[in-house]
Amino acid sequence: MEDLTSPLQDVRGTSGAAGDPGDDTLLRQFADGDAAAARELTDRLGPRSFSVALRMLGNRAEAEDVTQDAMMRLWQVAPKWVPGQAKVSTWLYRVTLNLCVDVQRKKKPDRLAEVPEPEDGEPSVADRMQDMARKDALQDALSQLPDRQRQAVILRHMEELPNPEIAGIMGVSTEAVESLTARGKRSLAAILAGRRDELGYDDG
Amino acid sequence: MNWGMTMADDTTELEQLFAQARQARSGLPDELAVRILTDAESVRLSRMTPVLQPRRSLWARLLDGFGGWPSMGGLVAASAAGVWIGFSAPDFLPDPATYIFAQDSSFVVADLGLDTTFLEDAE
Repeated sequence: MEDLTSPLQDVRGTSGAAGDPGDDTLLRQFADGDAAAARELTDRLGPRSFSVALRMLGNRAEAEDVTQDAMMRLWQVAPKWVPGQAKVSTWLYRVTLNLCVDVQRKKKPDRLAEVPEPEDGEPSVADRMQDMARKDALQDALSQLPDRQRQAVILRHMEELPNPEIAGIMGVSTEAVESLTARGKRSLAAILAGRRDELGYDDG
Repeated sequence: MNWGMTMADDTTELEQLFAQARQARSGLPDELAVRILTDAESVRLSRMTPVLQPRRSLWARLLDGFGGWPSMGGLVAASAAGVWIGFSAPDFLPDPATYIFAQDSSFVVADLGLDTTFLEDAE
């Protein structure tokens, strides 16, 4: 069983290690009129928002709109940002998740996942087919989870965030995050169990 | 969370799926990055454009020079007191008229005899 309490290091670095300015410093610079700061923030934070939105919604166009909207709110909040009050990434994840919930509320259940193909490397056609089937299976299974479980699982296992940060994003206790993640994973495992033969995990 | 131990195989497979999904995670599409940066630029430029203040009237600027409405109250009161004193001076105040129209005959213009003087010069 995975130790859910051990904090994962944020390998993508938002705290300004090694002399890089922190996200909130960049946000201040942007508020002061520095266009380069916007590019750096987009490089750092845009992919994270997009990744979460894509997994939450399973639809690329919707995920792009959500990420653009979330980043727009970041630009607008920049002059009022209070450094040290919260991590910029935490704030952006929260906004992204809320926007995803809004999108889901607006549309009727249309659970056909539309997941982009992997672009890394040159796997064989057979491998790619199998990867896509697996990924679709994961996305299908994720889409069947209740919202809060799905959020917790995505933040923990896709974004690899530490539980305390997930707790901050979701506005719940760390224990609640552990519970949501564990229940989500149990549900996912149950959903996927029915497809095991179809997906051919054993020969992967 | 002991129940998780009964699903160890499923959990392992799930971890594999997560790992593959993380590996396949795509970055920010270029077109989306352009949209985001366009937004950022519009926000940045709108913030850098100074907000034009509506031109204020002469009266409003004069009022500010005096210290606004509160000080105007005092100014009006002082002016009214001045007018009143001018019309009806209290006994303890000297009558300014005595300074303007001096009673001393030596200061009366008529007594200077200017008419006579001028006439003498003309002659």
